[in-house]
Amino acid sequence: MSTQEANIDAVQHMPPLIDGKREEPLVAIRDLFVHFDLGVKRELAPGKGRLRIILSTIGACVGCAVLVLLAIRFGYYPAAGWARLLVTAFVFGIAFQISSALALLVIGKSVRRTVKAVDGVSLDIYPGETLGLVGESGCGKSTLGRAILRLLKITSGEVFYRGRDLSKLSSREMRQHRRHLQLIFQDPYGSLNPRMTVGQIVGEPLETFRIARGREAERRVQELMETVGLSKRFIKRYPHEFSGGQRQRIGIARALSVDPVFIVADEPISALDVSIQAQVMNLLERLRREKNLTYLFISHDLRAIRHVSDRVAVMYLGKLVEVAAAKTIYDDPLMPYTKALISAVPVPDPVAEAARQRIVLEGDVPSPINPPGGCRFHTRCPYMIPACQEIVPPLVEIKPNHFAACIRISPEEPDIEKVTSGMAPGLAVAKAIAEAG
Amino acid sequence: MSTNNGNVLEVKDLRTYFHTEDGTVKAVDGLTFNLKRGETLGIVGESGSGKSVTNLSIIRLIPSPPGEIVSGEVYFRGQDLLKLSEREVRSIRGRRIAMVFQDPMSSLNPFMKISRQLMETTELHLGHTKRQAREHAIKMLETVGIPDARERIDNYPHEFSGGMRQRVMIAMALSCEPELLIADEPTTALDVTIQAQILELIKTLKRVTGTSVILISHDLGVVAGMTDQLIVMYAGKAFEQAPTRELFATPGNPYTKGLLRSVPDPTDEQGKLYQIPGLPPDVAHLPPGCPFAPRCERAEEICHREFPPFVQLTAEHHSLCHFAREVFEESAGGGSRTQQH
Repeated sequence: MSTQEANIDAVQHMPPLIDGKREEPLVAIRDLFVHFDLGVKRELAPGKGRLRIILSTIGACVGCAVLVLLAIRFGYYPAAGWARLLVTAFVFGIAFQISSALALLVIGKSVRRTVKAVDGVSLDIYPGETLGLVGESGCGKSTLGRAILRLLKITSGEVFYRGRDLSKLSSREMRQHRRHLQLIFQDPYGSLNPRMTVGQIVGEPLETFRIARGREAERRVQELMETVGLSKRFIKRYPHEFSGGQRQRIGIARALSVDPVFIVADEPISALDVSIQAQVMNLLERLRREKNLTYLFISHDLRAIRHVSDRVAVMYLGKLVEVAAAKTIYDDPLMPYTKALISAVPVPDPVAEAARQRIVLEGDVPSPINPPGGCRFHTRCPYMIPACQEIVPPLVEIKPNHFAACIRISPEEPDIEKVTSGMAPGLAVAKAIAEAG
Repeated sequence: MSTNNGNVLEVKDLRTYFHTEDGTVKAVDGLTFNLKRGETLGIVGESGSGKSVTNLSIIRLIPSPPGEIVSGEVYFRGQDLLKLSEREVRSIRGRRIAMVFQDPMSSLNPFMKISRQLMETTELHLGHTKRQAREHAIKMLETVGIPDARERIDNYPHEFSGGMRQRVMIAMALSCEPELLIADEPTTALDVTIQAQILELIKTLKRVTGTSVILISHDLGVVAGMTDQLIVMYAGKAFEQAPTRELFATPGNPYTKGLLRSVPDPTDEQGKLYQIPGLPPDVAHLPPGCPFAPRCERAEEICHREFPPFVQLTAEHHSLCHFAREVFEESAGGGSRTQQH
């Protein structure tokens, strides 16, 4: 039982980045949930569509007949044949719509629709590292990034920054902390105010946080522009005069203006051309070294993530499914989802590409509205067994500093290929954790 | 006249210019290539390099004005598409040459059931009756791997996910068994796992039907696994043109080399990523010499002064560079060195 306890402990506290020395995380996320309530919707059970049409038609006939009879009784029914036809058809149409809605009310069922964008995520980010967060669109990676910065309402859970729980701060206290926590946006076209000059865009946070004013502010803006590789001459220009890559540099300069400690980079290179992507990645890397920054680098581009990150967290439908060092994730992924994800990345080498055996996943990512129960990935997983539909797999340390959420593997049997079919060595631990939690 | 030696498409010196207030933009400037039956040609380049305009020129969908196909010949099965009347082109477009675009949502009519949209093509081009067209549409949806095709055919585009919509687009494109399929960034809007599905699908369908494909992409990884031949475009020009394997193994152009090096290699250890300095050029105001010269590492005085020649390196390998041969030999040497590792 001791290994199980150790595993439960490991889930709560991610291990230190450097072996032996336990470092305090800069940002610690504990059991974070971000749910969006889309309200209640009445839905028809599949196969009841025909019943609804029959009911609506009957309702429409009855309603139409009643109205026409009333109209005749009170003398509002037109005399001409074509006008009668027109009025009757019109009344029938409206009656059909009304009875259709009524039918849904009677034979339908209320379903509360919740988008579980982030669903119980625990993660530590250590000072000076780049943590890559990767996943398909709709998996909640951007929501997680924004929730850390408190740009979204957290449903439950805690986000600690240097030991202080950000989710409990008042908005005034949070404003003080905002200086240390910055965001770089994906869309370099939408995230800059088109009516402000570059100087104003980059300088605005200096005034907001009362860091510098006037001459001093101008000097700092010039400095920042040089840091990100933009000429000082551009200071009076407007965003539309710049290309995507240059705009991204402006966004980076603005984020840097307040001397942040931690930056969430939300798909910072996705909208850029290949040759410009490399420039921006190198810029971010250089800034990290020079200014001792810590990044949460969010991207769907696995090649970019591999290049910039020290550690990588893989997310699927609101949950973390694997966390490990970047090299480990790519060379030795444990989760079937991670394996498929990495195998899907096309390699720019025709010879290797021809020789490669690719794992092609069936189907699409399920909707995050009322996602599948048990393991979220079970609908697409080639290794699915019945238990996967019931048990929510916890993130367990399978190998040292390598976490994965899959009941079909365990520290004793980490290779899913070698696990006997139908067996689930991680099941006991998962059950123990489910009971403990 | 064109020869009909197994080439589905022969493009000769295609030039498409856009006349704007800002000057003439030479979006495609002198492109020549041949495409054999069953082969796949890849066109890569950054945004604004002219790869999509090439595709639109071939199928004569350039908005005019401001666009104009200034010169060139596009022989499709021996017939010059640029000389045909609008009506004749329409009978080829959609039937013998089909297109798949990047954004499936904006290429499908959101107000029409997909059954209607799929049936329209075959009713128009193959003269199917409603019933035949419907059966054919269901068969096509099954071919591209849409589950429950018989039920889903009466759905509207918004009821499908992005990957499924792209499958519908492919089903529509292939429903008349075209001889040429032009896919313009077909997977750019999709997730990697869905991208893998779609690429696999195009590969399979190509093998089964023998269709020739032009695949336009900005992703070198995508074209590496999919194409037989490759054209690298920059500022409207074909900077390099070669069989895919040869181009990746021994690039003969500094731009291609730079592009290949600026893609992070997952198998490689972390280090500084190679970056091409500067920005893609403004195509309306190109510098007098080589358009890549301001960003090029090995640019010399001549590059800024004179437009580079189109150098033939091997039988099928061409490169637009003053120093094409040197670059080619360098990468041949470097290539064998990396292989020894």
